[in-house]
Amino acid sequence: MNEPNLAKRWLKHAEKDPSAEAIVHWVAGETPKRWCYGDLMLRAGGFAQELTSRGVRPGEVCAIIARHNPDFYPLYLAIVFLGALPAVLAYPNDRIHPDKFRRGLMGMAQKSGLDWLLTEASLTPILAPLIDGEHSTLRGALFPFEWPESRATPNPVVQSAASAALLQHSSGTTGLQKAVVLSHHAVLDHLDAYAKAIHLSSEDRIVSWLPLYHDMGLIAALHLSLGKGLPLIQMSPFEWVSAPVLLLIALFEERGTLSWLPNFAYNHIALRANEEDLEGVSLAHVRMLVNCSESVRAESHDRFYDKFSRYGLRREALAACYAMAEATFAVTQTEPNKEARKLVVDRQALAEGRVEIASPSAPSRTCVSSGKPIEGCETRIIDEAGNTLGEARVGEIFVTSRSLFDGYRNEPEKTAEVLQNGVYATRDQGFLYDGEIFVVGRKKDLMIVAGKNLYPEDVEDAIGAVPGILLGRVVAFGMDDEGAGTESVCVIVETPLVTPGEQETLRRLIKQAGMAIDVTITRVFLAKPRWLIKSSSGKLSRRDNRERALAELDGG
Amino acid sequence: MITDKLKQAILRELGLASWDLSAETVATEVPGWDSLSHVRVLAAVEDAFAIRFRSLEVLRLKNVGELQALVDKKLATKK
Repeated sequence: MNEPNLAKRWLKHAEKDPSAEAIVHWVAGETPKRWCYGDLMLRAGGFAQELTSRGVRPGEVCAIIARHNPDFYPLYLAIVFLGALPAVLAYPNDRIHPDKFRRGLMGMAQKSGLDWLLTEASLTPILAPLIDGEHSTLRGALFPFEWPESRATPNPVVQSAASAALLQHSSGTTGLQKAVVLSHHAVLDHLDAYAKAIHLSSEDRIVSWLPLYHDMGLIAALHLSLGKGLPLIQMSPFEWVSAPVLLLIALFEERGTLSWLPNFAYNHIALRANEEDLEGVSLAHVRMLVNCSESVRAESHDRFYDKFSRYGLRREALAACYAMAEATFAVTQTEPNKEARKLVVDRQALAEGRVEIASPSAPSRTCVSSGKPIEGCETRIIDEAGNTLGEARVGEIFVTSRSLFDGYRNEPEKTAEVLQNGVYATRDQGFLYDGEIFVVGRKKDLMIVAGKNLYPEDVEDAIGAVPGILLGRVVAFGMDDEGAGTESVCVIVETPLVTPGEQETLRRLIKQAGMAIDVTITRVFLAKPRWLIKSSSGKLSRRDNRERALAELDGG
Repeated sequence: MITDKLKQAILRELGLASWDLSAETVATEVPGWDSLSHVRVLAAVEDAFAIRFRSLEVLRLKNVGELQALVDKKLATKK
């Protein structure tokens, strides 16, 4: 049978060249652990046997919660080998309160139906109530990293091309988190189409610091490498964020040619890189840095290029793409060896929905292209009334793709809201120009901070219980943070407190409430009771209140 | 012992009027000190003391005390 199947694809690569590099597990200052394709498959085969002997069955959902670990990769492969579904989840960081983490996990377990937790033994205290609890849908928790190393020739359960291969969870707390289901054919078709769009070759080496629970890290780094028989140099996101220059060092040391980055990363790296760290480093062989996951800002590319051109970085390497988990990953991609196109447009006209090249004196906005649709994908710009708009008009971006998701697991209504007749409504605002997609904003209230989606509802819920805030009278929104190249989180709350001391305390408590869900609230606007206005739907309008707050209130 | 100069550099960058920073203080306890602002805090400390950190040096700093120790070491080797 020649049907697309992940396990078969991986084994094919291993058979062709078992000694080829598959994963380079990179740790700063240490010798990397190098997996070659052959050994990676054997180790995965070993894990698959162990998982089966402990009761894991085909079709079951296995959530992996782990830090940067060299055995993560064979474990992930093992789950697919036994025909089960991997779901990579974020390891709780220090800021998250264990209760919040546990509740989020419980919600996910019930909603998307998690069957097994494959995790580190150190998380047992936090997870115990979850597994032993009466309403638990979980079959159990396993600690594969504690097991003695075993190897075995894989004997995969080959699921059909149309069957679910993996789950990709979106961010957000219970009630808002959705699990995107991707089939074998969706993933493999996408890898093949995307590889064409970026001219992927056997010489390519992908370097990534991205977390593997995020679709860009999972698909553009892990799956793209393994699916195409190329090496992935994987760094720890925690290490990278504290020392962002490590990406450039890894690109040089491992002769990486490709890397995918959210926009804020360009600013983050440019801010921290110093000459001492970069002594002897050359970026001449980096053929593409792909900006994706949040608004692409021209300023970020410029800042990055200005800083690193002296190390051989070429402008043509600055690429971009527009992607989403619901389409497996990329929908559009800029051309290889060509800098992502910039358009300087009239700011006022853009606000009115028209794209006009700005005259020199007019207030302008520089929009950066995310490229043309990849093979098998189509985009359309639709106005409020549902009509298809031509080029140079702003509207909502609708997507069709050969690699569209099957739906949100166990959420038929939420799926139907955005997926109709094979067309996905992205709720992103953008326009077409010379066939290229430019993303300019968002229809939904979603915030994207450092490349990660953040629901305003989650922030509002977290701070809602702070004493001094009128019940339910709180609104969260994002604001462009030019310095950081991403958004920062702001809130407006109604409070009867008036003395400076009380207000200062309230601000501090609100910021601390944000910290408990690992969100940094940058500005707190305090308003008097009844200040927030409602939209025609009767709900507090985040958009309208945001504008008023910026104009009328003091944000501290 | 956390010097005033270090405290001020950190608080100023985070926009905090005051906060009790001791040797055991970890970033996650301090409002606004997250992984993104961390690099700006390090840049502010570098500027305040006219020193430069290497990436490996700052990678595993656990608390303010370790940052102070690193600053002291850099100042000592500067002379």
